[in-house]
Amino acid sequence: MTAYLTHFLVMVAIYAILALSLNLLIGYSGIFSLAHAAIYGIGAYASALAALKLGLGFWGGMVVAASAGAFASALVAIPSLRVAGDYYVVASFGLQVVVLAVFMNWTDLTNGLAGLPGIPRPRLFGWVIDQPFEYVFLAAAFALLTWAICWRLTNSAFGRVLQAIRDDEIAAVAMGKNVVLVKIVIACISSALGAMAGSLYAHYITYINPSSFSLHESIFIATLVILGGSERLAGPIVGAFVLLAIPELLKFLAIPDTIAAPMRQIIYGALLIVFMLVRPEGILGRARYGR
Amino acid sequence: MDLFLQLAATGLVVGSLYVLCALGWGLIYGTTLHFHVAHGAVFTLAAYYAYAAQKFLGLPLAIAVIGAIVAAALSGMLIDLLIYQPLERRGAIRTTLFIASLGLLTLIENLLAIIFAPDPLRMDVGWLAEAVQLGPVFLTRLHLLSVATAILGFLALMAFLKYSLWGQAIRAVSSSPEMARTVGIDLRRVHLLTYAVGSAISAPAGILLAMDVGVEPYRGTTFVLLASVAVIMGGIGSIPGALLGALFLALLENLGVWKIASEWQSSISFGAFLIFIVVRPRGLFGRKIQSAEI
Amino acid sequence: MAAEPAVLRVQGLSRSFGGIQAVDDCTFEVQPGVITGLIGPNGAGKTTVFNLITGFLSANHGSIRLQGTEILGLSPHRVERLGVVRTFQHLRLWNKMSVLENVLLGCATPAGENVFSLFLRAGAVRAEEQRARDRAMEVLSFFGLTDRARELAEDLAYPEQKLLSMARIFATDAPVLLLDEPTSGLDSESLGRIIPMVRRLVDHGKTILLIEHNMELISELADQVVFLHQGRVLAAGPPADITSDPALTEIYFGV
Repeated sequence: MTAYLTHFLVMVAIYAILALSLNLLIGYSGIFSLAHAAIYGIGAYASALAALKLGLGFWGGMVVAASAGAFASALVAIPSLRVAGDYYVVASFGLQVVVLAVFMNWTDLTNGLAGLPGIPRPRLFGWVIDQPFEYVFLAAAFALLTWAICWRLTNSAFGRVLQAIRDDEIAAVAMGKNVVLVKIVIACISSALGAMAGSLYAHYITYINPSSFSLHESIFIATLVILGGSERLAGPIVGAFVLLAIPELLKFLAIPDTIAAPMRQIIYGALLIVFMLVRPEGILGRARYGR
Repeated sequence: MDLFLQLAATGLVVGSLYVLCALGWGLIYGTTLHFHVAHGAVFTLAAYYAYAAQKFLGLPLAIAVIGAIVAAALSGMLIDLLIYQPLERRGAIRTTLFIASLGLLTLIENLLAIIFAPDPLRMDVGWLAEAVQLGPVFLTRLHLLSVATAILGFLALMAFLKYSLWGQAIRAVSSSPEMARTVGIDLRRVHLLTYAVGSAISAPAGILLAMDVGVEPYRGTTFVLLASVAVIMGGIGSIPGALLGALFLALLENLGVWKIASEWQSSISFGAFLIFIVVRPRGLFGRKIQSAEI
Repeated sequence: MAAEPAVLRVQGLSRSFGGIQAVDDCTFEVQPGVITGLIGPNGAGKTTVFNLITGFLSANHGSIRLQGTEILGLSPHRVERLGVVRTFQHLRLWNKMSVLENVLLGCATPAGENVFSLFLRAGAVRAEEQRARDRAMEVLSFFGLTDRARELAEDLAYPEQKLLSMARIFATDAPVLLLDEPTSGLDSESLGRIIPMVRRLVDHGKTILLIEHNMELISELADQVVFLHQGRVLAAGPPADITSDPALTEIYFGV
C-alpha cells in the first residue's frame, strides 16, 4: 500500500510540473499547445540517452533535457508565433506527431517501440536515490522549484505582459510590447520545464517507451491544466491530483482494460466540455481576477 | 515511372478525401472562426451512420450513404447549437471554444470505440470494390468514385456560395461579420447553415474512407488536423485554396513515400506546413487584412 | 504659422485594398505642441491612416517621418519605442485586468519584463516596480481615476474607460499621441470631462493627432484640421477655415 501511495505521489509531482509549465502557455498567455507530451518525451529521451550513451548522470541529463525541450519548442514557435491566429495549435500538433514518429521509427537512436531500459537512478553526492520515498522528496523538490519559477514569472511585469497578450494582443503591440518575442520566450521556458519533468520520469521509472508520450497524453495534460484552473498556481497541482485519482477510482470499479482506456478519455472529454460551459476558470480559478 | 504514376494516382484518391475534409472545415473556420476540431468527430460519425444504416437497418448502400450525410449535417448543426453558441453567449474566448471542441472530439471518438470496439468494421460495398486498370495504374471503382465526389463536391460548393441566397449570406459573414450584421443577416442562422453545409461536404470523405479500409473511431483527429494545415496553406477564407492545399498535401505525402520511408509520411506534411508559414504565412489565396479589423 | 519643424510628416501615403484606394497620395504635417484633427466622412480613410502611421498596416507608397526618421514599415512596437502611441476606437482595454495594471503596462519596466534580470537582479526589479507603481498612481490621479485603481477595466463606466485608454498611453511618456475618436459614444456631460483632458495633455507638451467624426466638436478640440475624403487630403488649416467652407461641409454631410 505504501509503495502504491509513494508511486502516486511521485506521479502527482511530475504531472504538477507538466501542468504548471503548460499553464504558462494556456492559462497565462492564451496559447494552446498540443505538444506538451512530445516535450515531456523529448526531455525523457534526451536525459535517458545522455545517461546511456554519454554517461552523464541525472543532473547533467536534466540540463540536456531542458535544453532539448527549449530548442524543439523554439523551432516550432519561431515560425508560427510570428503570425497571429491559430497557427501555433496546428504547428504544435505537427510537432507532437513528428516527435512521436521519431521516437517510434528512429530505432538506431531510440530503440523504437521496444523503448530504453536501464536508465540509472539519480545520484546526489555519491548517494543513490532509489528508495521510493526518497524519490517523492526529489520529485516534490522539483515541483516546488517549478512552482517558484512560475510564481516569479507570473507575479512580475513579465507576467503582466503575458496577461495583456492573452486579453488583447493588438493593444499590447500598440503599447510597445514585443509580443512575438515574449511568446517565444514563454514557449521555450514552458518546454524547458516540461522536459525537466520528462527527465525526472525517465530516471524514476528507469524505462521509457514512446507510448507514454502520445497525443492522448498531451490532451490529458491540457485537461489537468484546464480543470485545475489557470489563474492560480495551486490549480494545476489540484488538477493533477484529481485527474490522477480518476483512473485509480476506475480500477476499483473493475472495468475491463479494453474499456478502461477509452472510458478515461470519455471522462476527460466530458469534463473539458462541462467545465468550458459551466466554469471555464477551472476548479480553483477566480471568476475574474485583478489586483 | 509506373511506380510514380501509381503513387500519383493514390495521391489523387487520398487527396480527394483531404479535399472534401478541407472544404468543409475551411468553410466553417473561414465563416465562424471556430477552430472546430470536433469536425473530425463528425467525419467519423458519418462513417458509423452509414455502417449502422447498412448493417442494422438493412438499407441499400446508396440510401445508407445519403442518410448518413444528412445525419452528419444535423450532427454538425447540433454541435454548434448545443455547445458553441451557448459558449459564445457567455462571452467565451476562442481558446475556450477550442478546448470544448477538443473535449467533444475525444468524447465522441472514445464513445464510438466503446460501443463498436476499436477494430475496423467492414462495410459491404459490392461492385465498388472491383479493380479498374487505367494504363499502368490500378484503382478500384471506389477510388474513382472518391475522385468524382471531390470534384462534384467542390463545384457544387462553389456554385452554392456564388449563386444561392444562402451561399451569399455565408460569404458575407465570412468576409465581415460586422457588415453582415449591419445589413440584417442573422449570424446565428448563418452559422448553423455553415455547419450543416460544412459537415455535409466532409461526410462523404469519412464514408468513402470507411468503405475502402473499414470504419474506425480514431481517424478523425488526423484528418481534421491535416484539413486545417491544407486550409492554412491554401489561405483561410478561400475555397479553391483549400482544394489546392489538400491536393498538395496528399501528393506530397504519397510521392514523398517514393523517396522517404513510409513511417515518416505524416512528418512530411507538418514539415511542409512549417516551411510554408515561414515563407508565406497567409497561404496561397489568403485574404488581406481589412483596416477595420484593427 | 509655426516655424518649428513638423513632428510628424506624412507624404504621398497610399494604400489600397483589393481595388479600393483607401488612402490616396495623402500628405499632411503634424506640428509639435498642438492638436491636429483628422476629419472626414465615414470611410474617408482616417483609421487607415492611423494604422499606417502606427505600423499596423503596410503602405503601397509614401513616407512617414517622425522627427526626420522614417517610420513607415516599422512594426507597431518599434513605432511605440520611437515615441508614437495610439488609442483605439474600440478601446481595446485589458478588460480582465485592473485599472492600475492597465496603466502599469504603459510604465517603463524593462527589468521586470526581461526574464534574465527577473531572476538575476531581484533588487533592481523590485525598485523598478515600486517606481512604476508610484508613477502609475500619479497618472491615475492626473486622470481622476485614483478611486478606481483596483477595479477591473471592464467594470468602469464608458467615459472612464475612455479616460483609462488615454491614461495608459500617457504613462508611456511618448511625445506623440494618436487618439482614435476620443469623443465617440459620449454624452455632453462626459464630453465635459474628456475634452479638457485632451487639452491638458497638450499643456504637458504632448503632440496630438486625433480622429474626430463630429464636425461640430472639431473647433473646440483641434488647433489644426486635416480634411480627408476618399483617402485624399482635400484641405488643411485652422478649424474655422474648414468648417466655414461650404464645399467641404457639403461633402461631409452629403455623403
